[in-house]
Amino acid sequence: MPRIFWVTCPDCGKRFTCHVELRHAQWRLRCPYCEHEFRQEDSPRIDD
Amino acid sequence: MNHRDALTYHPAMSASGGMEKPVERSLREFLGRLERDHPEQIVHVGEPVDPRRFEVSAVLQHLERRRKYPLVVFDHPLDLTGAPSAFPLVTNVFATRARCALALGLAAGDAGLPLALAYAAREEAARRDGARWAPEPVAERDAPVKAVVRRGDEVDLRSLPIPRQHEMDGGPYLDMTCVMRDRDTGAYNTAFLRNQFKGPRKLGLHMSPRQNWQIARKHEAKGEPTPVAIVVGHPAFHIGALNVAPFGTDDYAVAGAVAGAPLRVVPSATWGEAFMVPADAELVIEGLVPAGVREVEGPFGEFPGTYGPQRLRWVVEVTALQHRRDAMHQMVFSGHPDTWVLGSFPKEGSLYNRIKGVVPSVTAVHLPTSGVGRFHCYISLDKRVEGEQKQAALIALGECDFVKHVFLVDADIDVFREEEVLWAVATRVQADTGVDVIRGAKGNALDPSQVHDTAGAKMIIDATKPLDRPFESRIAVPEEALARVDLDRLIPPDVQGRLA
Repeated sequence: MPRIFWVTCPDCGKRFTCHVELRHAQWRLRCPYCEHEFRQEDSPRIDD
Repeated sequence: MNHRDALTYHPAMSASGGMEKPVERSLREFLGRLERDHPEQIVHVGEPVDPRRFEVSAVLQHLERRRKYPLVVFDHPLDLTGAPSAFPLVTNVFATRARCALALGLAAGDAGLPLALAYAAREEAARRDGARWAPEPVAERDAPVKAVVRRGDEVDLRSLPIPRQHEMDGGPYLDMTCVMRDRDTGAYNTAFLRNQFKGPRKLGLHMSPRQNWQIARKHEAKGEPTPVAIVVGHPAFHIGALNVAPFGTDDYAVAGAVAGAPLRVVPSATWGEAFMVPADAELVIEGLVPAGVREVEGPFGEFPGTYGPQRLRWVVEVTALQHRRDAMHQMVFSGHPDTWVLGSFPKEGSLYNRIKGVVPSVTAVHLPTSGVGRFHCYISLDKRVEGEQKQAALIALGECDFVKHVFLVDADIDVFREEEVLWAVATRVQADTGVDVIRGAKGNALDPSQVHDTAGAKMIIDATKPLDRPFESRIAVPEEALARVDLDRLIPPDVQGRLA
């Protein structure tokens, strides 16, 4: 089981890593590049 | 002194920890000594730099690409609002073993095993005689860190030059020593932890399942917040914080023993005498970790040289900031020699002593920076019987869960010279018989190759020569010839200096 997944920010399009504990959780993710906070379902791409 | 001399050097250290000079009790005194006696160790950057925009890291990365690792003082960094900060920024303090040796009152030439053994001897002294090294309370007027004390709404962490180090970092980060106090024993525990800037009085806090994590769990079980003090700018204290003493050992006593004098402490601004803080730090941030509260934190460029991912972590509600007049801020350059060296020698001496107790033929232990100062462990021994080398490896793996790959070599190999270790691996190992793998042992959550959060594989590479069959010897130029030939006469030193 991979421990991370890559998520793409819907605002700036850059990718960053999250721990699997956040996958399918209700927490809003925070893009480290543009500080945009978003729900996973709004990400254009998630690699897990 | 090379590591082979350490065996004779060690007994003398048991009394003094090998201390040649008294350890400075402040960062500025240490910088002063470097400026005076070791100017090659320190450089100032006088131009303004913006730590928020990676400019501090960029300077360090440029130097690293040139294989330069000086202590760097940024005299005029910007703060988190973009204005000139009142706090100069000091970094790369621990990026070489020689500088760590100097910080502990040793000679720069003692940077090999003697540094590790001195650290272990002092750590052991604190365990043996905690009362001797108990922290020394001082009055506020004698505590430089109390020169400026801000509480509650007076605190604004944006005044500090807190860097973003690597491109995927979730924000500016503090990465210095966090102190917590165990509610059962009263012992203080210190650890380098990362704190994400989240607001003028709010930080994130990442903890792995180690000692501070245990302390916070105990408070959470009672529904209480956990007090935490973030200590910045106190070289011997920071090095003492890396001790591997068992849970319940008072790290303030260990820090005193490592420095050679009891740690001077003063009542905190938030909890008074119920939580003492180092009096000689540059600055101390105090706060509460609320029970049961988690927020997304990270990513952060971590010690393995890879990112720790964004995840749910604790927060710190900051209650006070106190600092020296003219205080300096400090960061450790995470995932670079500044963290790798810090991770290595405090463990090497303990490992050496534990192995020595069972396998007396051990001659040296080294955690090289190529293994991020933690994951690789080189052990040399003067093997007398087959099997004792594996015993040494198993002790290292059992003693320190950071250790992932153990390389066993004979005593003719200098474990502080990596090319010798790899030469031994190249010439003395057959993989079908010389490699053992242990599955499912406790590893490190920040090891990106680990599939499970806490467990991973360990490997032992036995590059010692077999005793039960003839084995070819290493080529050697006769010592007699080396003694007879005077290189400096045949090739003058000035010519040698410009040779390829």
